[in-house]
Amino acid sequence: MIGLEREAGPLLEMENVSVNFPVKKAYPFSRRRWIQAVTDVSLRVAYGETFGIVGESGCGKSTLANAMVGMVRPTAGVVRFQGADLYSLRRREFRDARRNMQMIFQDPFSSLNPRFSVYEIIREPLYIRGGATESAMKARVLELLKLVGLDEEDMNRFPSDFSGGQRQRIGIARAIILNPVFLACDEPVSALDVSVHAQILNLLMEIQRSRNLTYVFISHNLAVVKNICDNLLVMYLGTVMESGASDAVFANPLHPYTKALLSAVLDIDVDGSRERILLKGDTPSPIDPPRGCRFWQRCPSAMNGCAAIPAPLVEVEPGHQVACHLVSGFSREQLAAGAGEPVTSATGS
Amino acid sequence: MTEAMLNLRNLKVAFPCPAGMIRAVEGIDLSVKRGECVALVGESGCGKSVTALAVMRLLRTPPSISRVDKLELDGVDLTDWTDRQMRDLRGKDMAMIFQDAMTALNPVMTVGRQIEEVYQRHTRMARREARRETIRALELVGVPEARSRVKSYAHELSGGLRQRVLIALAFACLPKLIIADEPTTALDVTIQAQVLDLLKAMQKEHGVSTLLITHDLSVVANMADTVYVMYSGKIVERAAARDVFQKPRHPYTQGLMASVPRLSDRRQMFVQIPDTVPHPMHKPTGCYFHPRCSRAADECRRRMPRLETLESHREVRCWFPLSNPQEAGS
Repeated sequence: MIGLEREAGPLLEMENVSVNFPVKKAYPFSRRRWIQAVTDVSLRVAYGETFGIVGESGCGKSTLANAMVGMVRPTAGVVRFQGADLYSLRRREFRDARRNMQMIFQDPFSSLNPRFSVYEIIREPLYIRGGATESAMKARVLELLKLVGLDEEDMNRFPSDFSGGQRQRIGIARAIILNPVFLACDEPVSALDVSVHAQILNLLMEIQRSRNLTYVFISHNLAVVKNICDNLLVMYLGTVMESGASDAVFANPLHPYTKALLSAVLDIDVDGSRERILLKGDTPSPIDPPRGCRFWQRCPSAMNGCAAIPAPLVEVEPGHQVACHLVSGFSREQLAAGAGEPVTSATGS
Repeated sequence: MTEAMLNLRNLKVAFPCPAGMIRAVEGIDLSVKRGECVALVGESGCGKSVTALAVMRLLRTPPSISRVDKLELDGVDLTDWTDRQMRDLRGKDMAMIFQDAMTALNPVMTVGRQIEEVYQRHTRMARREARRETIRALELVGVPEARSRVKSYAHELSGGLRQRVLIALAFACLPKLIIADEPTTALDVTIQAQVLDLLKAMQKEHGVSTLLITHDLSVVANMADTVYVMYSGKIVERAAARDVFQKPRHPYTQGLMASVPRLSDRRQMFVQIPDTVPHPMHKPTGCYFHPRCSRAADECRRRMPRLETLESHREVRCWFPLSNPQEAGS
């Protein structure tokens, strides 16, 4: 289990969640293949915290976020939001729960309808919920525009009139108009200029503080995650590699993948002191992933056994888990079979 | 032999629109020395890419109007070259690596064929020989199983591999100058590290001069020798990379640097530059940066400062440049 137990219980809990997508068959009688986007992920997000999910593209971060907010039904496992099993709720209850969870999308160019005015975009959730008069909605939209740093005149303009950063502000206003308790931010700044990152991140943090929101923050930039997250989860090819309190993971990263990710973050303080760990090759395809540790093909310290034996997620210190054979070790029998020997040939993809 | 590989003097590019004139680039000077990596840094919409395209002479007229006092590549003045002459030059002496490899590569042509084309166009190689060279070039940039990869199409490759193909394409004829326009922006962090290392190795090995265009200062810190900071169509600071990072003199440069999130510290708030780049049709009076500058005074609102030499190898366009490292760090 991840994170510290709080009195009130977690806001969001995922238990052994897996999400598979079928691959379109090449021929009618060929074997059905699956993209294993997320495999056996468990996590807990406490009230008021910022929970980070880190990984490269294709590691299942976004699918996991979609499963959290009720957009993708998991193939297996349970998602509990405020204690209720999200995917067994009745239609009306589900809709009520969904109001409390909103999402901020990565690409501010495709997540806003180009034919809607800013007012229509931000008002949309209120409009769908119903029960508000036109003037009430207008007042509310205006209030939010101010909050995210846009002007009243912007209300009747269209998304194409705005820069990436401003569009992301519109997306944020839309996400918080129903006063949700939970926001899933799916790479909210990665499509933006570095100089605008700070603006949007500060805005998100301000909103969190003033409205007591809980965030799940998805990112591939560890420097950002380190700055804002309380707990985090490092994912690779759909599985958890390492998780725990952000301070603990950054102080003592144990998984080779976490270390590689950390070393790949480019810093502007160049003194050459930091050693770069370069990973071989690219992320392999999540269709029929490796049976053992999913990272073994790119792992600089892979051992013979890593390919066949899955690495269990073990707790190394309170609230810090790692799934790596280097940490958990092999059993006596596995060692006897040569599992602990270094991989001799370079088997990168 | 001149020392400068690329010598650009007073480049101006504008796009006339019904609503007014968009001045994308307002007279910039830029030079890249032999074997040097020069970075052109700035936010979106400041004119970086337009500058790159203008150097490659890839801007069409109309819609653009460009004027340049001097555009020299390795001592040869290209200012009055015809399109036909430029076509012989591009890919051979001067090549470009684009940001988005998916759109830069032809989707209905195998990647191998696209590289072969460069060899066939610029050298007298026969097709078979070109194929052999192509495989060699792909191996050089670390494409695994290059022999079979030449037959792949762009969509069959991952983002990192595509970018490698673009690099192989650009380096095919060992050009004198490579222009890399945001070469890693579309990539994941671990792949970005791979591609930057590759670019650096290729550049060092072949002594190719590079003009790197990016908005990401951390990329600059890892690649560049000299940095030009661009804002709203003008150069606001030019200095050696080390100096820029140790003590930025222009408030904009300082702001850009401060806004990069770092691993080394844990803060609650990120340092930000308020507001955004002015719309190119409605640029403010005086210094273009003054509405966003914390040090702006009356002088800044009235007159545009000149790009002035402050110390050796350093030019800053600011009425009140930051003076010393202590102040710059505050």
